Amino acid sequence: MSGSRKIDILTRVEGHGTVELLREGGKVTGARLNLFESPRFFEALLVGRRYDEVAEIACRICSICSTAHKVAALQAVEQALKLQVSRQTGLLRELAVQGGQIESHALQIFCLSLPDYLGTSGFSGLAAAFPKELNQGLRLKALGNMIQETVGGRAIHPFNLMLGGVGKVPQAERLRLIHGQLEALHDELAGVVGFVSGLPESLPPVSALPFLAASGGPPLFGDRLTASGGETVMATSAAAWLHERVEPGSNAKVSRFDGKKTFMVGPLARLKLSMPDQTSERATGALLSSSLLARAVELQQALDRAGILISCLLDEGVGQEPPVAATPASGVGTALMEAPRGTLLHSYVFDKGICTAADIITPTAINQAAMEISLQKLILLMNSAGYEEVRSSCERLIRCFDPCISCAVH
Amino acid sequence: MKRLRVAITGLTSCSGCQLALLNCEAELPQLLELVDFRFFPMACSPATLESDYDAALVEGCLSMPHEQELLLSLRKRSRYLVAVGTCAAWGGVAALKNDQDREQLRQQVYGTDSTAALETFSPLPLNAVVQVDATVTGCPPEKEELIGLLTGLLKGSLPTLISYPVCTECRMKETLCLLTERSALCLGPLTLGGCGALCPALGVPCEGCRGPVPEANLAEAMEIYLQKGYAQEAACERLRRFCPGWRA
Repeated sequence: MSGSRKIDILTRVEGHGTVELLREGGKVTGARLNLFESPRFFEALLVGRRYDEVAEIACRICSICSTAHKVAALQAVEQALKLQVSRQTGLLRELAVQGGQIESHALQIFCLSLPDYLGTSGFSGLAAAFPKELNQGLRLKALGNMIQETVGGRAIHPFNLMLGGVGKVPQAERLRLIHGQLEALHDELAGVVGFVSGLPESLPPVSALPFLAASGGPPLFGDRLTASGGETVMATSAAAWLHERVEPGSNAKVSRFDGKKTFMVGPLARLKLSMPDQTSERATGALLSSSLLARAVELQQALDRAGILISCLLDEGVGQEPPVAATPASGVGTALMEAPRGTLLHSYVFDKGICTAADIITPTAINQAAMEISLQKLILLMNSAGYEEVRSSCERLIRCFDPCISCAVH
Repeated sequence: MKRLRVAITGLTSCSGCQLALLNCEAELPQLLELVDFRFFPMACSPATLESDYDAALVEGCLSMPHEQELLLSLRKRSRYLVAVGTCAAWGGVAALKNDQDREQLRQQVYGTDSTAALETFSPLPLNAVVQVDATVTGCPPEKEELIGLLTGLLKGSLPTLISYPVCTECRMKETLCLLTERSALCLGPLTLGGCGALCPALGVPCEGCRGPVPEANLAEAMEIYLQKGYAQEAACERLRRFCPGWRA
């Protein structure tokens, strides 16, 4: 018997995609990833819009990553208009991004991934069988959202992050409250990392791929791409190097670096790059399944970083300041940063304040080729397994990448 | 009490309305005792459509034939179908250039020789295709609205559509009027309330993300915009960011 069967729709991931399993003689012989998500054509929608509208529209690309999109878009627009924001604004944006990181990682670990390890169908199954774990995850997730709401005004599509600054600067008292909660959860986090590292292996040993991440700035920010092979590319040349193109079977563009190489981005890539010699071997390990632990380690880092940022803001005296006024100008701006799922690039061209070109490259689009290769490796390793077993492993493998398909297709 | 059997899905969207529900961290454990999320691909496995649901909550607009198929299927299987969020209610940002040729937009992004998303059509709100029993608007909706929607459905009731503008909520909160006092292009007078006037409360002008209020005092609002130096078209253009069909 030969032919192909689709996994109806990938579940416990953001957006719409499938994996098509190719079969020959009763065996699964190959797999094709298909991100069939409906495109909204953001890069076309943004053309013709005013400079002060671009980030407000662009953050709607994705909800889970809306703070990352908002900040990246603002930075790119400000660079194009040669607008310098205050140190306080920079710290607040960084804090919001860490809040997004906490929310996203807690959601992925506890609600989307954990059911694979504990044998339930989703968060509702966890509530019945593992309420302690679910509640711990929800507490962490809520803290991430509290940070995003405090700085961004709202957890999804953060309107308070504006061109040139922030609308209302958070009160010191509120920041102190968050700081207290960060400290309270800090100790719990060590337990979470221990718990995650103690989970049984859920996948055959598929190795991780070469990786890359933004670097050269504070955690999750940077002005260049650094890859595992030592390649370094500045933000302004990153889009050309990432070399996005349309390939059959996906509504998301695929990156083939230099036209051929494949890299993965995300928590595992970032940890391998920032702490290659760490003792936490499994978190920076050679296997793709280490992604979950890498996410837990990053959760801890995000809590620590958020605490440091709040201390900085409080020490320096946080206070209301008007956003820096922008004037319509012409120019080009490109911002690189690390969204929860990996490297994100926003690039815009303005002519007298009107956007004439937009280019947005997202983590899941970059990861597409890596996901495809990893699926092939998995199928080779599962040579004698039946369809259902392969199918379930394929879904688990895709979840290692924590795909955000709305982002990928936008 | 019998648990409410619910289907939740997203069409052309950012998943923000579904995430807003998952962001109800404090309420989720209790909500799970009352609501059975039978079909919720973003958060639960497997995604298998069953024969009937008490309610289907649908986020996003329609821009592909397979979405239309899913929507019709959910309509058939569900007692109530609720449009959740601005995209489902009005089209939302995805419909920003509905006045332009869709194929041209497609080629602008994918190039002229690609067949990606060949079947895409100009985004439509859900009520263009199916009967919608209730609407919760917002980009995204407030968490309280979603909790209220689900608990209401448990008792067999649907939410009533809000009919007052964001301005009303600003007044109730005694928030400084950004339009009259700061001359900002605030869309509060023309935009559906229900958000608690979140943005103006932080000094950020309303961007109209909840769509147009049905009984807006349009003439009055336009006169104030003009006085403040904004052409009528500028205000309309801004309002169309979330509701492309909107005309003064």
